[in-house]
Amino acid sequence: MKTSQVFDQSAWIFISIYLGSLILVGFLGYRARQENTLKDFYLAGSGFGLVVIFLTLYATQYSGNTLFGYSGKAYRMGYAWIMCIHFMTAIAACFLIYAPRLYARAKKYNYITPTDYLEHRFNSNWINILATLILIIVLSNYLLAQLMAMGRAMQGLSSADPDMAYRQGVILLTLIMVVYGTLGGIRAVAWTDVIQGLVLMVGFSILVYMLYKHFGPLSLATNIIQQSPDAAKIAVPDANRLREWLSYIIIIGLGSTLYPQVIQRIYAARSEKVLRQGLALMAFAPLFTSLIAVMTGIYAIAYIPGLEGAESDQVLGIILSLVQQNSILGYWLVVILYAAILAAMMSTADSALLSISSMLSKDIYGRFVDSKASEAKLTFLGKLFSWCLILFLVWLAIYLSDKASLIKLLDRKFDILIQLVPVFMLSIHWRGMQAMPAFAGIVIGLIVSLGLAYGGFDFVQNGKVYGFHPGLIGLLFNLALAAGGSCWMNKTQG
Amino acid sequence: MKRHITIAAVYFVLVLIGIPWYWDKDTTLLIAGLPAWFVVAIVVSICTSIFTACILLRYPWNTDTGSDED
Repeated sequence: MKTSQVFDQSAWIFISIYLGSLILVGFLGYRARQENTLKDFYLAGSGFGLVVIFLTLYATQYSGNTLFGYSGKAYRMGYAWIMCIHFMTAIAACFLIYAPRLYARAKKYNYITPTDYLEHRFNSNWINILATLILIIVLSNYLLAQLMAMGRAMQGLSSADPDMAYRQGVILLTLIMVVYGTLGGIRAVAWTDVIQGLVLMVGFSILVYMLYKHFGPLSLATNIIQQSPDAAKIAVPDANRLREWLSYIIIIGLGSTLYPQVIQRIYAARSEKVLRQGLALMAFAPLFTSLIAVMTGIYAIAYIPGLEGAESDQVLGIILSLVQQNSILGYWLVVILYAAILAAMMSTADSALLSISSMLSKDIYGRFVDSKASEAKLTFLGKLFSWCLILFLVWLAIYLSDKASLIKLLDRKFDILIQLVPVFMLSIHWRGMQAMPAFAGIVIGLIVSLGLAYGGFDFVQNGKVYGFHPGLIGLLFNLALAAGGSCWMNKTQG
Repeated sequence: MKRHITIAAVYFVLVLIGIPWYWDKDTTLLIAGLPAWFVVAIVVSICTSIFTACILLRYPWNTDTGSDED
């Protein structure tokens, strides 16, 4: 199956101009800085308005996983993957649980990182260290997935040897990203997110048009699938899949709101009104993003059957190569769409990288190594950590190039991340929550989650317990210990 | 508090309708050429988006952390 797009020189010039413009924006972000402080570098001083907040949330939330992973998953699972628009919509709803109070505290106490809230709320080094490690590990996993997606995108773009194209894609796109991120900090990242978010929305609109023009309505694809050996992919999901559906809504709805880069965007909103409006717009994003990725997977079931394993993550590239051969218009639409695909990956990766660097410099170095370090020094170290980490992750992305499906990377990180729900979402509403049981809850939650995921138990099928993510089982133990232990301590302390 | 319970109840109902547990396993019902359960899941998603946006836009957040903390 042919997957490469074989772009001509003019297409490469267009993509080069687009990538070059990102560096230019990084430089403009550098020029716009007001002071050499952590708040200015990581939260853009006084914060962002509605357009920037919405597009930076959008571009950060929708990533390489959405485009390649979701269309691939829809191809493998069938119509049941429509569950993804439910769990992506659940994210906006779950913000309602704790964003209002967190925003108020962030503005009052000048939080920079997610751990700043925990430090202020619990004043416990144990919780700080554990939460920071969880966030850094999860985010590094997320970042790695984006780097791998960049490599795969370049494989689809280039007619060169696939391994070489993958390596070049990972290295070149990461280099551009880290340069503009280091230059302009959150300003550069958010401003490039505006470009990338707009390109992404235009790209998805183009994809819908191209799919319809090339393959006809979705009902026709459904009819073809009904007559094919893949007819089972249309059927109502079985009980196990339905439980998985519910599990995804809870784990991704809650977990995605805890991403550090998302929390820092809550901090960076100029006002609560701007944040509310931005989140309201985000509630509709799954309808013009995830839904289109699912449609792509469904068209692929009908028109390019027979792909398996990691190859199925390439269905988007294959669909585009079919569309591209159709006309000059189709060719240029694919060029723009590929710019959108690169935008999705880079905008997610740059935000994750910036967040990790802020946690390494402020929460680890600034808190435990040199508590008297100046803001300028911590900002410089944050940049340095970015480069060191990205070098390691680039190597890892190349090493793991054909060893893991994107969706597998997605699954495990939420099992870990969701263990922070009690310390963020419960503690912000309940003054009685105590540090020690909260810490013990996280530890138990992690042990149960990872034990179930990797323990080789018979009742764990495809990494899930009767359809539920192990992380949710761990969260039950976590919540019970954190809440029960806090109640007991409050009672004994009078 | 009553408002919070109402909001949670509405989300619960939306999840209940959106996940196709109540459809017959062998149903072949189509709406506009697409599986009916699939169309219902999309419609519920649209309703959830509208409901979430309404809550966010209608009710300003109380940004006063007050003396009940710390």
